[in-house]
Amino acid sequence: MNTIVLTVVLPLLAAFVVPALSRVSPLLGRLLGPLTLAYAILLTLQIWLGMEGKPYSVALGGFQPPLGINFYVDQLSLLFTFLTLVTSLLLWPWRNETEPRQYALTLLLAASACGLALSGDLFNIYVFYELISVASFGLAAATRSGASFAASLRYLILSGLGSVLALCGIAIVYLQSGTLNLAQLSQLAPETLNTPLGMSAFALILLGVGVKGELFPVNSWVPEVYAAASSRVSGLLAGLVSKLAVLVIVRLLVLLFQQESALQLMLILGLLGTISGELAAWRAKDMNRMLAFSSIGQLGVIFIAFSIPGETGLFAGLALSLHHLLVKPALFLLAERWRGSLAGLRGAGLASPVAGGMFVLLALSLVGMPPLPGFWAKFLLFTGLAAQQSVIYQVALGVVLLSIVIEANYLFRVVMNLFQPAGDNSVAVTSDHGWLNLGTTFLLSALLIAGMLFMGPLGAWLEEVAIQAADPVLYFDTVFSVSAIH
Amino acid sequence: MMPIEIGTVLYAGAIGLVVIGIAGIVLSHHLFRIILALVIAEAGANLLLVLSGFRWEAIAPIISGGGATPTMVDPVPQAMVLTSIVIGVGVQALALSLTLRAYGAYKTLDIRELQRRMSADLAGEAGTPLPLSLEEPVGGRPLPAAEGDGR
Repeated sequence: MNTIVLTVVLPLLAAFVVPALSRVSPLLGRLLGPLTLAYAILLTLQIWLGMEGKPYSVALGGFQPPLGINFYVDQLSLLFTFLTLVTSLLLWPWRNETEPRQYALTLLLAASACGLALSGDLFNIYVFYELISVASFGLAAATRSGASFAASLRYLILSGLGSVLALCGIAIVYLQSGTLNLAQLSQLAPETLNTPLGMSAFALILLGVGVKGELFPVNSWVPEVYAAASSRVSGLLAGLVSKLAVLVIVRLLVLLFQQESALQLMLILGLLGTISGELAAWRAKDMNRMLAFSSIGQLGVIFIAFSIPGETGLFAGLALSLHHLLVKPALFLLAERWRGSLAGLRGAGLASPVAGGMFVLLALSLVGMPPLPGFWAKFLLFTGLAAQQSVIYQVALGVVLLSIVIEANYLFRVVMNLFQPAGDNSVAVTSDHGWLNLGTTFLLSALLIAGMLFMGPLGAWLEEVAIQAADPVLYFDTVFSVSAIH
Repeated sequence: MMPIEIGTVLYAGAIGLVVIGIAGIVLSHHLFRIILALVIAEAGANLLLVLSGFRWEAIAPIISGGGATPTMVDPVPQAMVLTSIVIGVGVQALALSLTLRAYGAYKTLDIRELQRRMSADLAGEAGTPLPLSLEEPVGGRPLPAAEGDGR
């Protein structure tokens, strides 16, 4: 059962081997990464089917927690491991045949993201988080233009500041409770961390981890990096890396900081993020920056969802996260050919109707048109928000509704532009999207439609995942049970 | 009395280092100074972390002198600080190499100039008008003449 460790080890090993191997045999170097990821996906599926919905804990090195470091495997962490591997495989740099460094960075990102999802120890989470950071700085600078270097430097400095804050928060948690094992903390937290000092630790960690999660005050790196990086990297950062930061915050909320003020802090930051992101996206003049700002807005909505107490919030947040993970990379891939000013896109949809049609589908789902999964996710959020008594949740409901109106406005403006006949003065748009981008987008759109058709069982299963993840007692019992696997 | 005072001083020092680092990041305009400020802030965070395992007049872990068990310093934060120092050094190296690249492209380390050039590059690539700079008045209007300007 502890083969789950291989999902971290194999991509990490491959990341180190690929650059050397590519010098000896370019073909093997090109194949090694996808093969490793495919094998890790198979392993994850096998473990998932084998565990029959029961979480378990792996004690690494044979030391039992709380002394040793453990991996916690439940449906939520397996889901994120699976999504990490699949997304990295889908957004693999197939075309950069001369750039083994990009293979290595993508593999490093996949390995550390799996480690982050599985880790059951606060400091390990920090270490994997830093590994993700380093990989994403490298990927953000991979375009090798001056703008991308400057943008990723800005990203690096903000992220470095964030990790300093997170480390301070972790130090406070350790000072107060004397342990960093999440399971043990979940038992100690109600006494030791339910204080103003504990709350400040949460705020510090939230700000630190929130840099990747595009949380409101620490997201100023987002537009430049997404505008300068390639679409593939933007898709990875907006789709995957931000969700991993959200996952960390969710684990912290469920296990460590159950107090109401923590939820309210997150709600307020989410609200500010939603408003600022959507308004900036409305004003944006070019495609990549519009998608970047709208990603800030949607992450804000996800933070609002997770700030609803109990498994209702977890369920709604997970649904929104999965939906965003599916839609945003697809939109960024479409934007590869359509990057550039929105005004210059006149007639682009007529020139390539398949891409235009998929853009319409994705935009409709993002806004929340009824039969599509996006509607379902937002509906869950609405019912969750409406069930809360507190005034601030009612305000949040209003803000989310407003954000949908703004979102619909700017996305449909783009769609209108795409399908208008090109005038004489508009810039000529190339219609060639490349079969690879188009194919990947098509696959993601097909998944979206499949999600719509199988909404019933999918929803029931996701609710089960949320209920399992929202149970701190189960977490503690699993890690400290006698049957924990060595 | 003595240990409490020393502890307070050390904690104040650690938090002070973080504050100095953050102030440096926010206030300086030179990229290299910003990276140095980041290093200072990281040192503060590391000091805070290692202080969380600090015991007054305790001995180093592992070496126990035999006899009555003396108080030991908590080894866990020390192991964590080692890790975080290594991570910090890696990130600093990456930051410096990116700085070199950015300098190679733009021939400046002033972040205001870097920001301006980056925005211009991005806007040029996207084919959109330049975003309005905060330092320039909208529409290129002349700044209101200061009083006693002689005009």
